[in-house]
Amino acid sequence: MKKFQLGEFEEIVMLTVAILYDNAYGVSIKKEIESRLNRSVSVGALQSALKRLEDKGYLESVDKDATQERAGRPKRFFKITALGKEAMEYTKETRNSLWDSIPAISLDVKFAKLLNE
Amino acid sequence: MNNPPKLFLRFFRWYCHPNLIAPIEGDLMELYAERIEAKGKKKADLLFIMDTLFLFRKSIIKPASGGQKLNSYGMFKNYFKVGIRNILKYKVFSFINVFGLAVAMSVCMLIMLMLADQNSYDEFHKDKDQVYRIIGRPLKGSVPYATVPMPITSMLKEEFPIVEEATFLRRGFGGDVSYNDKKIELRGYFTDNSFFEIFSFPFVHGDPTTALTTPNSLVISREKAYQLFNTEDPVGKHVTFEDRGLTVMDFDGDRPPTELGQFTIVGVLDMKKFKSHLEFDAIASTSSLPIMYNKELLTDISDDWEYYWAGYAYVKLRPNVAADALQSNLNDIASNHYLNSKTLKNEEIRGFELSGQSIRDITPGMLINNEATFRLPEVAYYILSVLALVIMIMACLNYTSLAIARSITRMKEIGVRKVNGATRWNLIFQFLTESIITVMLALGLASLLLYFTKEAFMDLWFNKYLNFELSSSFPLVLLFVAFALIIGLAAGTYPALFLSKRPPVFALKTVGGAASKWGLQKFLNVSQFVVSLVFIVTSLVIYNQFKHYTEFEYGFNSENILNLPLQSNDPQVLTSEFSTTAGVTNVSACDYIPATGMTNVIELKNKDEDLDPWVLLAFNVDRNFIPNLDLELVAGHNFSSSKGESKHIIINESAVSKLGYENPQEAIGELWKKQNDESLKIVGVVKNFRASLLVNGDEIRPMAFSNDPNSFNYLNVRIAAGNPIETIARLEKKWETIDPVHEFEYEFFDNELANTNLAIFDIASIVGYLSFLAILIACLGMLGMAVYTTERRTKEVGIRKVLGADELKIVLILSKSFLKLLVISILIAAPLSFFLNNFWLNNLANRVNLGFDTIALGSVLLLGLGLLTIGSQTIRAARQNPIESLKDE
Repeated sequence: MKKFQLGEFEEIVMLTVAILYDNAYGVSIKKEIESRLNRSVSVGALQSALKRLEDKGYLESVDKDATQERAGRPKRFFKITALGKEAMEYTKETRNSLWDSIPAISLDVKFAKLLNE
Repeated sequence: MNNPPKLFLRFFRWYCHPNLIAPIEGDLMELYAERIEAKGKKKADLLFIMDTLFLFRKSIIKPASGGQKLNSYGMFKNYFKVGIRNILKYKVFSFINVFGLAVAMSVCMLIMLMLADQNSYDEFHKDKDQVYRIIGRPLKGSVPYATVPMPITSMLKEEFPIVEEATFLRRGFGGDVSYNDKKIELRGYFTDNSFFEIFSFPFVHGDPTTALTTPNSLVISREKAYQLFNTEDPVGKHVTFEDRGLTVMDFDGDRPPTELGQFTIVGVLDMKKFKSHLEFDAIASTSSLPIMYNKELLTDISDDWEYYWAGYAYVKLRPNVAADALQSNLNDIASNHYLNSKTLKNEEIRGFELSGQSIRDITPGMLINNEATFRLPEVAYYILSVLALVIMIMACLNYTSLAIARSITRMKEIGVRKVNGATRWNLIFQFLTESIITVMLALGLASLLLYFTKEAFMDLWFNKYLNFELSSSFPLVLLFVAFALIIGLAAGTYPALFLSKRPPVFALKTVGGAASKWGLQKFLNVSQFVVSLVFIVTSLVIYNQFKHYTEFEYGFNSENILNLPLQSNDPQVLTSEFSTTAGVTNVSACDYIPATGMTNVIELKNKDEDLDPWVLLAFNVDRNFIPNLDLELVAGHNFSSSKGESKHIIINESAVSKLGYENPQEAIGELWKKQNDESLKIVGVVKNFRASLLVNGDEIRPMAFSNDPNSFNYLNVRIAAGNPIETIARLEKKWETIDPVHEFEYEFFDNELANTNLAIFDIASIVGYLSFLAILIACLGMLGMAVYTTERRTKEVGIRKVLGADELKIVLILSKSFLKLLVISILIAAPLSFFLNNFWLNNLANRVNLGFDTIALGSVLLLGLGLLTIGSQTIRAARQNPIESLKDE
């Protein structure tokens, strides 16, 4: 049963929001992902992911800090909700249990090559 | 200051969800500022554009509904929802409204179908806008004639350049056509080939450019061609035609046949494909006429400017010529040939006026004499439309009055809406939405009702002659929907304006509510009942008149008499054959059937010739006729010879006094002269009996019987009462041995007399149906009001009962205001219906008296129905256990 739905990009966004903790808003999340994962993120992709996560109830937001450089528009700061935390943990656990179930031999690439020859 | 590309910023603001717009725009601006620093303006602009475009995705775009700009959609949804809920919540009122509107709408839709059918006539002609029929008016201000004298056409064609084509349809082509051994009846006209230049009747076989150019050619309808030739190719076949004087319009009427000669079939027309005011089985070429004039088979009227029964003239004007030009040409003709003519034989025709009538104005068209086919004049449609509109208005009034009455219930809702910021327009729009939903439901029901009323309408007698085809097409369906919308607006506007008017404070404290508007309410109810009573009395009068006509004492005995058209057979042979048949008690012969619409006249001159001749009805009978119809001879004796007596006449009592005799005995043996100076001797006097149609006059006109076997057209066979079917079978067998060609035809005399009243019976059923609808709608309206008031007054009734009032008293209290309305309606409607009905009755011969009893009966009916309606509610309210209404609070 799919209890929590979290896509790959969504998971990255959730993790970044968690990392940034008090300072997670659009631009900072984008920069954080770009610098840490070395990949470019479009505003559109990020915003729609944030909206989806908020709709699912994994994130909550609050608007504040309308500054001059933002033409008077507020920043929307995101925080992880309890449900969001649970979803992240669930995802992590499923990953872990999958990793744990892999027999050691199947990851021994050298050995596999040998068998093929 | 560095700004991002305006266009894309605006685009972003347009599509973005209002909740997201501020933070995202902030992010975009922050990024833009940073990028200008890092990469320069151009790069920053480009990236900004990319960002706005990538943001255009489902989760960011605002939804189609609920957004600020499309707010009215959400409101509309709400109005619709509330409207449906209101309809479902108050089922009784909704039913009354929907049903009343549906009934009225179905009648209006039926009339729209009729008008659409009528307007589809003559639309298939290629140059229909340029084709006119010439019509004449013998006297100023009289009903015009569709027929005109024959020479007009050639004059128009030759002397007036605006006329491109002209043709004349000469009447007088009707009789039997025979091919090999087959013989069928044809009715039509003589015309020339211009006919096909003017009209576009579709050819099945033959060439329209040459069809009627040669003498003795004949173009025939597809049905008749099939009857005559079956599947053989008709073109080029030779047929023989004998004229019997039949016309397209006549239902019977016969003349001894004259053979007009051989005709060649040159074309076949598909007459059923399109609808036209012209109907015929065949048309023969005009160029064959001179031959017939020479042989004296037909009277030459081609130069007769005074014989305006000759036929129909049509012209096609050149393109872009207006009707005014035709009119001035026609005025010239009229002044040359009538007003200033020196050779007129008949002075009465001097004022003859000519005018053009567009063929598109013929169906439906004005009232006109000698119309080519049976048609209802425009006036009939106006009257029907007005009646239907009256019913429709009544149904709308029902909606209006119920909506206003129930306004108190709606006041709270209106108040809350207003407090929440609804403008007056919003509320008006809401109530109009409700009325339109109701009307749309009514439209559905009306279409269902229309299906049944259409069937009933098609079965009416006159539809045999009018050939209505009431098929609905897509534009008509659109018209119905538009009509429904208009009705919705008409019914809903007043309540919408009225309900939305109140200020919210007033609306929220409901006490006293709409009490002030009861005046209007009463007015609406009273007017509905006035209309209903007028309808009831009118239909009663029409029914009485119908009964009066069917039970009329004609003065002769028509029971068990069969009338047989002779169809050109020898009356003496048939008489002797039939009178020996078992079951036949008597056989007589005559030239037309009395009291069914036909009459003939004879002019009698005094033997001294010093006085103007007397005009009497003429009737040709044999010697058996008087005893056969139980006519009573008051003086003298019957015709004695079976071979005919040309010198003797028998007159009726009113002729006795008209010719100046004191008593019947005095007239016997007196000599008179015919127009051709042959002398006539009066040998007998019969008691008065009625020989003309009942609607044609109150008086019994003076009449003279003569006995000329050559002019007999009918046999009157009196059969024994026992078993008519066997006797008729025996008669048919005898007929077949004498005349194998024509089919045996007969009609019971009683039926023929009754059939003359079918038109009035149709009117009675239409008005009866409409009055039934009017009463139904009025009663529904009153039922609605009664339901509403008794509902509002349940508490009052409860308290009254607790305090000791008995049921009867409560019923009276509740019904009082309605009773008042009913009585007021009757007081207004009784004199009104008396005058309205006397108005048309005065123009009718042999009318019934519209007395106090008819109006009283109508009033009692209305009162009874009204009481039943109110009673159903008030009695229920009075019987209710007071605990039910008082237990809460």
